[in-house]
Amino acid sequence: MKRTIQRIGLTLVVPFMLVACGDSAPTTESAAAAPTSDEPVYGGNLVIGVPGEPVIINDLYLQDVPSSDIVELVFASLMTTNVALEMIPQVAVDQPTVSDDGLVWTYTLHDNVRFHDGEPLTAHDVAFTYSIFKHPDYTGPRSGDFLTMESVVALDNQTVQFTLTEPDARFATRMTYGILPQHILGDIAVADLGDYTAFNVEKPIGAGPFKFVSWNQGQNIVLEANEDYFEGRPYLDRVTFRFAADLNALVLLMERGEIHHFEGVPAGEMAGLAAVPHVNMHSTLALRYDFLGYNLRNPLFQDKRVRQALTHAIDRQEIVDTVMEGHAEVAHAPVSPLSWAYNDDVPRFDYDPERALELMAEAGWTRGSDGFLQKDGQRFSFEILSNDGNNVRRDLGIIVQQMLGEIGIEVNPRQMEWGAFLERILSPNFDFDATILAWSLGLDPDPSAIWHTREIEQGLNNVGYSNPAVDAIADSNIVIVDQDERAAALAEAWALIAEDQPYTFMWYPQQFVALNERVNGFVHHPRTNMHGVERWWLSTN
Amino acid sequence: MTVYLIRRLLMMVPILLGVSVLSFGIMYLSPGKPAVLNMDPNVSAEARARQIEALGLNDPVHVQYARWLARTLKGDFGVSYIRKRPVGQMIWERLGNTMILMGVSLLLAAAVAIPVGILSAQKPYSPMDYTVTTGSFLGIATPDFWLALMLIMLFSVHLGWTPVGGMSTLGADFSLLDRLHHLILPSIVLATASMASLMRYTRASMLEVLHQDYIRTARAKGFRERTVVYKHGLRNGLIPVITIFGLLLPNLVGGSVVVEKIFSWPGLGMMFIDATFQRDYPVIMALVMIGAVVTIIGNLIADVLYAVVDPRIEY
Repeated sequence: MKRTIQRIGLTLVVPFMLVACGDSAPTTESAAAAPTSDEPVYGGNLVIGVPGEPVIINDLYLQDVPSSDIVELVFASLMTTNVALEMIPQVAVDQPTVSDDGLVWTYTLHDNVRFHDGEPLTAHDVAFTYSIFKHPDYTGPRSGDFLTMESVVALDNQTVQFTLTEPDARFATRMTYGILPQHILGDIAVADLGDYTAFNVEKPIGAGPFKFVSWNQGQNIVLEANEDYFEGRPYLDRVTFRFAADLNALVLLMERGEIHHFEGVPAGEMAGLAAVPHVNMHSTLALRYDFLGYNLRNPLFQDKRVRQALTHAIDRQEIVDTVMEGHAEVAHAPVSPLSWAYNDDVPRFDYDPERALELMAEAGWTRGSDGFLQKDGQRFSFEILSNDGNNVRRDLGIIVQQMLGEIGIEVNPRQMEWGAFLERILSPNFDFDATILAWSLGLDPDPSAIWHTREIEQGLNNVGYSNPAVDAIADSNIVIVDQDERAAALAEAWALIAEDQPYTFMWYPQQFVALNERVNGFVHHPRTNMHGVERWWLSTN
Repeated sequence: MTVYLIRRLLMMVPILLGVSVLSFGIMYLSPGKPAVLNMDPNVSAEARARQIEALGLNDPVHVQYARWLARTLKGDFGVSYIRKRPVGQMIWERLGNTMILMGVSLLLAAAVAIPVGILSAQKPYSPMDYTVTTGSFLGIATPDFWLALMLIMLFSVHLGWTPVGGMSTLGADFSLLDRLHHLILPSIVLATASMASLMRYTRASMLEVLHQDYIRTARAKGFRERTVVYKHGLRNGLIPVITIFGLLLPNLVGGSVVVEKIFSWPGLGMMFIDATFQRDYPVIMALVMIGAVVTIIGNLIADVLYAVVDPRIEY
């Protein structure tokens, strides 16, 4: 999905091998545009570095971040988000009008939007695009976003109307998909759309600020300015996405001035990159949290007091200061401070090893002669699994091993290759004690996908968390259209989940963008790398 | 000879079948699913089940293998799970890039190794010979990825002489000079191991030749040492070395996987490593089979050349 590549997704951090680190402190700037006294100039080729090659330039089928960055530039959508993550219009003229019963959503479109081939973009294209999700032959991954959508019709060229089967507070955030041209794809069978490389790879046509020029397999994708973009021609003549092997390569390319922008500077590279004269660093909070999750199927973790004790025994602030070099905030709840539904009025389990031992004792765990906690002759010992190539997770495992060791708990941190790791921790195996992961959150704060009991067997609730009260809120919150009312309902869910501590919530991380000093007008958006790129420009000096 | 060739070619069939069964089995047994099926909360369980069914991953392994074999025998490598494009087409697009890298590396290896090997053989057990020998052992022992990273650190990052990776300068029109500039580091890394073994072969072979009677005869006739070595010795000395080139191919194929990935060189090696991490089975299988064919052919070429250049060998 454009701007919301995954509502929630397992975060994969690219393997990292090379650490070259300066010793100067990184200078970070705010998320504001880079200050400049110059007037914007037209021209230039902006080079974006991406860790890995995109797969498909079609919003209805993509599942990777590099693809979504390209789609963002080539396609236009009804709505988009601003840096505060509020929905704002793009092709739509304004916010939708919603009927009193919350079932009919009507959007009015600008009348001067054209696809890159000159054909006008109308409400018929919007209806065509969104009807694909409901088609029985749709093979893409996003049909789950439209379970409550009954129909979509174009009332005329400028008006499109969605009808829902029941009120759905999440629906507004579904309007960010890149609109496809019906005059090109209308005759293609829906079953074949996902594999239709003539459009998805060789010549995607949207109505976004940049046109597709070429895709050099394994090397780069080149886009050029859309002279007729309805919001005005972008300043940049070209945007080139250069594929690199991994984040290491991107760091080097940035140092050498071969790329102008990349997102995801690893914590260990911050200082080194910030010290390079032509590189500016920008940071903002990522819409994500990292956590240590406990497999609740394991008898060790079935007592709530034990899980609370584990969190009490882990000094998260210390870990943030060391492992994350301070570039994160300690987390207490499964919601990001960036979300309108954020509420940190939840039970907290701050660092307190004494309290941890008391709680363990209440749960029947006492120190044995060997110094380890035990119960019925069994030692409290477990394995923490994470994916390899991720130094932060490796270090976190080691530090947790040491901290829990101090209260007599034996921990074995272990790392595995990403694919193998996923297979172990997910359905149907669930073969893990505890795991270190992160959730990239979606625009909508609905907790169902991660916390609902029905998501245990097949979904992302792989720790097996089940709480009827949380299920009830997960089911009911989506029909509450009033945002304040919904936030209050969700706050209750956050408190219930925090009290149960199925995870030790670790931190809300900062994300870093490295930017060449020639780039102006950059705005750091927490969810999307290419936000407002039509207003970026390259100074010539 | 003809009979021998036919026999060798026929033997390729069971070998390739064996390789395909083994790699298919290892792939099937290894943990991890095709990345296309990765956890994504927006994919309903039903949609995922449909995808798995569509890819035929629910069938028993022997059925899947039989399907793959039938398709491959018709010359169809199938469609990539991830990129939805014909694997044959993807390979064809990148084959040239890998050939360029391997070709340049082979030339580089030969250009350095053969003269140095000859010099070593002329002055065996001299300080120069020991230096060369040590150097070649180091070359064989040094892991590609480490050497690649060190060279990037030194020449690209600190000195700024060479690009960090890629095949050409972005936005620039194609020029041979630019291409060579991008080739320098990856070809040096890929050539290192081959260079080292080629050097040892050259040295050993030349040493043997230089102790032959006819060389002594040539010296006794009063020829200059240069004439003796380069006119009489070299021709016989290089015969076994030529046969080694076929055996270097598998080295290059294996090395290219690591080297291409590190230098973002868009060839088959990089494609292979990406496909492995994504569990893109059709791509993995196609590349494994191509690698197997290249290795077998390389061995065959070496054996045949041996018989051609050395009349004492008969098959």
